[in-house]
Amino acid sequence: MNFATLASQLFIGLSRGMIFFIVSAGLTLIFGVLRITNFAHGSLYMLGAFIAYSISTFLGQGPNGFWLALLIAPLAVMLISLVIERGLLRFIYNQDHLMQMLLTYSLVLIVGDLVKIVWGTEFKSMNVPTILRGSFNLWGASLPLYNAFLLIVGPVVALGLWFFLSKTRLGKICRATATDREMVDILGIDSTQVFALVFAMGGWLAGLGGALIAPTTTISIGMDANILIYAFLIVVIGGLGNVWGTLISSIIMGVGEAFGILFIPGVAIIIPYIIAGVLLIIKPSGLLKSAW
Amino acid sequence: MASMVGNKKSHYLFRIGSMLLITVLLVSGCGSSPNATTDKKNVKVGIVDTYTGGAAIYAQDSLDGFKLAIKEIAAKGGPTIEFVTRDDEFKPDKSTSWAKELVMNEKVDFLAGTTNSAGSLAVSQFAKENKVPFIDWGGMSDKITGAAGNRYVFSTIPNTAIIGKAGAVQLSKLPYKKIWLAGSDYEYGHSVITNLWSNLTTLKPDVEKMGETWWSVGETDFTPYINAIRSAKPDVLVVGTGGADMVAFMKALKATGLTQEIPVWAHTCYDPATLRPLGDQAPVNVMGTNPYLSNYPDTAENKAFVAAFKKEYNREPAAFALYGYMGGEFLGQAIEKAGSTDKEKIIDAMEGSTIDTPVGKATLRKEDHQVAIPMSYGVIAKVNGKITATDLHTLSPDEIMPSVDAILKSRSQ
Repeated sequence: MNFATLASQLFIGLSRGMIFFIVSAGLTLIFGVLRITNFAHGSLYMLGAFIAYSISTFLGQGPNGFWLALLIAPLAVMLISLVIERGLLRFIYNQDHLMQMLLTYSLVLIVGDLVKIVWGTEFKSMNVPTILRGSFNLWGASLPLYNAFLLIVGPVVALGLWFFLSKTRLGKICRATATDREMVDILGIDSTQVFALVFAMGGWLAGLGGALIAPTTTISIGMDANILIYAFLIVVIGGLGNVWGTLISSIIMGVGEAFGILFIPGVAIIIPYIIAGVLLIIKPSGLLKSAW
Repeated sequence: MASMVGNKKSHYLFRIGSMLLITVLLVSGCGSSPNATTDKKNVKVGIVDTYTGGAAIYAQDSLDGFKLAIKEIAAKGGPTIEFVTRDDEFKPDKSTSWAKELVMNEKVDFLAGTTNSAGSLAVSQFAKENKVPFIDWGGMSDKITGAAGNRYVFSTIPNTAIIGKAGAVQLSKLPYKKIWLAGSDYEYGHSVITNLWSNLTTLKPDVEKMGETWWSVGETDFTPYINAIRSAKPDVLVVGTGGADMVAFMKALKATGLTQEIPVWAHTCYDPATLRPLGDQAPVNVMGTNPYLSNYPDTAENKAFVAAFKKEYNREPAAFALYGYMGGEFLGQAIEKAGSTDKEKIIDAMEGSTIDTPVGKATLRKEDHQVAIPMSYGVIAKVNGKITATDLHTLSPDEIMPSVDAILKSRSQ
């Protein structure tokens, strides 16, 4: 076990954490502001990957295809989210949690079947653009360039979210709604419009996560369930509705898993749950203050 | 929030009721039954398989293969075989409940399916208890016709014992000593690796296991696993994974450039289902085995099968199409040979029977009801700018079938 191995594994863990963060940040925003357990978040992520695949394939799997897919796919998912929020979710804000779960879970099944009807069952793959192909050398360990790209995108998204939430009026309203919905209503702000905005943003983040992961993996039905488990673990560890808690727990999860794979490969599969268990025993309310 | 519920109770019940109705409609819509000719009793097959989710591609292929077989049989003046399908969603409990429903409501004579090995084992148990024969064309676990085998279960798919033995034969011909084992953490992954390792240590006692890595099914990011294995510097990495994970794993091999340093073995690595989505991003220097390719073996029988399948479904048949096809062919031949639609007589006729298939003669072994077909092995390389399987060789069934003695011994334990 030399330094290069440790350093490269740390680097890989961080880039893994970035995808976790982008997807979980959307889930935690929706959690915090809408107070809805959005099971369909994984489905939106899957849609992002499939739409990115279609755009990239339509443009001949070239480099332009990837960049355009990265731009358009999250926006498309954002639009779909908006339709879901205005068409379905807004009618159940005052229903109890069971109803909300039933609705978002039914969306999981519906989106799963729709994806199968539209894209079929065959495994799909989209290309990494030429500029991000191949690997580079980090203290003697060769690492995929694409992971370095993820390490740039992750912090950019985090910065953007920080700017939106703390520096813009809309962002401040979002945070206020998360803290005290009634007070926001009393102040004459239409909180349902805030809900629509936040749900669309959450969808955009899920779609971005899907589009970012698409070139590195198989795009297939079933990818929704896998990410959802991670996203829920991360959101709970980070503190429900707290975006910065999500950032911290994503990094812990990504890096922790990478080192677990290195040191105890035989039981790597249970590492996320060990991490979640230990952190929740230490801080049952989540790492940072929950929005509720 | 919760106080609203009481006021809206009737509203609520209505919604739940309509949801249930939709569910029932969706479920009943899954089945499809072709028109039956009624002059004599037809054999009816109830197919329980995974038509939704990540494994749906296999169920679709085997169903299309089966449909082609029964169509050809009927066209030749053979017995008419009917079928209905049910979706088990890759859940073993659903496999058995559908199997029950098919036998009780649909009155099927035979059961067939299912891609989930645990589902196949559960249906096999049900088949044994209710004396309804079950043709497994999707579950690859060696337990199905091995330790848990019985009179009522047949397998037309090469199982993990055969895959593991074939891989061991291939690897034993190569100079690798230090071996790292890895795979998806589920029945198929573990079973392939266990079988391969026990056969390899028999064929080549000086191999050494350096370590093991297991990842969860549906893993999207393999770089941390590959980086960790690379740092251990084994001679060869042996992988037991399938489906969508296979494609993702191959992509990660390419992105990390692992195969430039360490060769990799994986069953079905050069299958079109893996190579087609990868395009020019497929890694080279990956070895593997495969029971069927549409262009290998390069024989008239295979060409005829591919042409017939293509004409019917406008795509090339993959391995699972062959498994479903063989299921239909074995059944059709057995009904004819038995001259009866009596289940026990059909079982007797199926035991030890041989049919001609696109890959040559296929036999359902009398002792364990496991199909014996040849297997190819080769390596992925770039030929004339195109990434494809090269250096293909055929292993005969004698070389790769587990011994009958070992199977009967495992059943008596």
